[in-house]
Amino acid sequence: MAFLKPVFANVDRAAAGWERRRRRAYLAGLLPALVVLGVITLLPGLFLLGVSLTPLSLVNPSTVFDFSDPLGNYRELLRDGRFHNSVLLQLHLSATSVGLQLAVGLGVALLLNVRARFFEAIRTAFLIPMVLPPIVVALIWKILYTPDVSPLHRLLEEVGLPIDSLITDPGLAIWAIAVAETWQWFPFTMLMVLATLQLIPDEPLEAARIDGASRWQVFRHIVLAYLRPALVVCGLFRLIDSLKAFPLIYVLTNGGPGTATEVTNYYGFIEAFNFSYWGYASAIAVIMLGGAFAVSWLVSRLGWNEVHHD
Amino acid sequence: MTDATRAAAAPLLARIGAWPGRVRPPRWRRHRIGLHAAALALLLAVLFPFGWMVQMALRPPGEVLDGALLFQPTLENFAALWQGHFPKSFLNSVLVSSLSTAASLALGVPAAYVLTRWRFRGRGRVALWILATRMAPPIALTIPFFLAYRWVGLQDSVVGLALIHMTFNISIVVWFMQTFFAAIPRSLEEAAWIDGCGVWQAFRRVTLPLAAPGLAATAVFCFIFSWNDFFFALILTRTSAVTAPVAITNFLQYEGWEWGKIAAAGTLVMLPVLAFTLLVRKYLVRGLTAGGLKD
Repeated sequence: MAFLKPVFANVDRAAAGWERRRRRAYLAGLLPALVVLGVITLLPGLFLLGVSLTPLSLVNPSTVFDFSDPLGNYRELLRDGRFHNSVLLQLHLSATSVGLQLAVGLGVALLLNVRARFFEAIRTAFLIPMVLPPIVVALIWKILYTPDVSPLHRLLEEVGLPIDSLITDPGLAIWAIAVAETWQWFPFTMLMVLATLQLIPDEPLEAARIDGASRWQVFRHIVLAYLRPALVVCGLFRLIDSLKAFPLIYVLTNGGPGTATEVTNYYGFIEAFNFSYWGYASAIAVIMLGGAFAVSWLVSRLGWNEVHHD
Repeated sequence: MTDATRAAAAPLLARIGAWPGRVRPPRWRRHRIGLHAAALALLLAVLFPFGWMVQMALRPPGEVLDGALLFQPTLENFAALWQGHFPKSFLNSVLVSSLSTAASLALGVPAAYVLTRWRFRGRGRVALWILATRMAPPIALTIPFFLAYRWVGLQDSVVGLALIHMTFNISIVVWFMQTFFAAIPRSLEEAAWIDGCGVWQAFRRVTLPLAAPGLAATAVFCFIFSWNDFFFALILTRTSAVTAPVAITNFLQYEGWEWGKIAAAGTLVMLPVLAFTLLVRKYLVRGLTAGGLKD
């Protein structure tokens, strides 16, 4: 059989060659995307970090590569009352709007969780607020909150209870934004909950009913237990996104009245693009980036794998 | 049974199927009717704000502030938009969205394919990094891009805006296409390899055609995400590359609150999105929760 040996060696060599060629082909497919994504995300990230260590401001050209006091911006952040206020507002807005979204989304999902064509058809219609362009959502709510054109204000006036616009009231403006944001995003929770509800097996539900559990008990102890991981992941995802809320604030209140709705994202925007304090604004953005990644890390630790679908 | 009767009976059958066992008609039916009414009322309440804007767009310009419920619908507000700078911004939106979609697909589709087929070390970490890029708050990207664009002269350009939209669109393509490629059996490609195809030749001739519906849906999602962007466009464009969402805010500030025009512009901006959404409604859940749900 000795004469077969070279043939086997050839096959081996051919297989190894094919393996190598395949790996090279795969690399050629993957690398361009990674390189481009690196150039447009990692590089700007490093650049941002660098700028945050300088007092860069375009009115003063000498500040461009001034690394003499690298932590100056961060020290300033610790002293800046307007920044502290913005962080508190951000927490307030995120907590209320995510909380409302989860509550409303869960409620609507439970209402629509019926296997009938009618309910399946209207589920899709409930998604409309979520797919609308954010600027259109902002316009819709600008209309609703402006007494001159708002049907709600007109209605209240008809019944003799005229109220002032919510978005010009320093105490209520942030709630007005939370309501608009809830309208836009409750369908996300609704979708996730509906998808998870389909996965709950019938047996434990039936067993509990046979054992005489009330509807509330079944919901509280079985359905909610199944939904919890989905709700947690959903809430964290919405939390990350709520840090980015921009068009609603820009159009509805512009951060006002005063600084009543000036959340951190918006404060950073103002520092950078109204005042041109690039170094300082970059430091704010670095802090926000840290916050967003901290929440993302939580997502990957908590129940990422627990939500399945399809 | 004719098709017509079968169609008519289908909802009934579905309902019976959903309620196994003996049916107690009166209470059961009342309950179901109540549920239908509640769901419908809720839907109307949720969609009311949206409908209100559309009806404002259709009112004659002089009557936008009138309380009258009945009016003669007219397209005058849209015609007024057509005469201003708005069509240009609409065109810019189309250009930016198409460009960023095409580029993201060109880069993201092969990458997604490789990530489903090649089990290399660190694969999970690469995939997670691609997803993480989407989590970054836009302001963290905008500051460096703004400064860099001033330097290289890309500010206020369609290309520059399309490039920054790729920061979110590439990760959408990679995550979305992975689920489609994973559903295609490898044996088909392996057969093509044995027939002498190279990796990418087999991909183009066998895998990609099978993933075509997914590819189309992904393209639509990229287009919508890019179309919907407001923040990047607000900061990186000024006059010549202004997109439609940013152009609307100019009506809010400079033209003295022309509500009819504002509502009409809003309606125009959302029309393509709604039309596209209808097209991909089958994939909607997956697309809207991409990355939020593990497949």
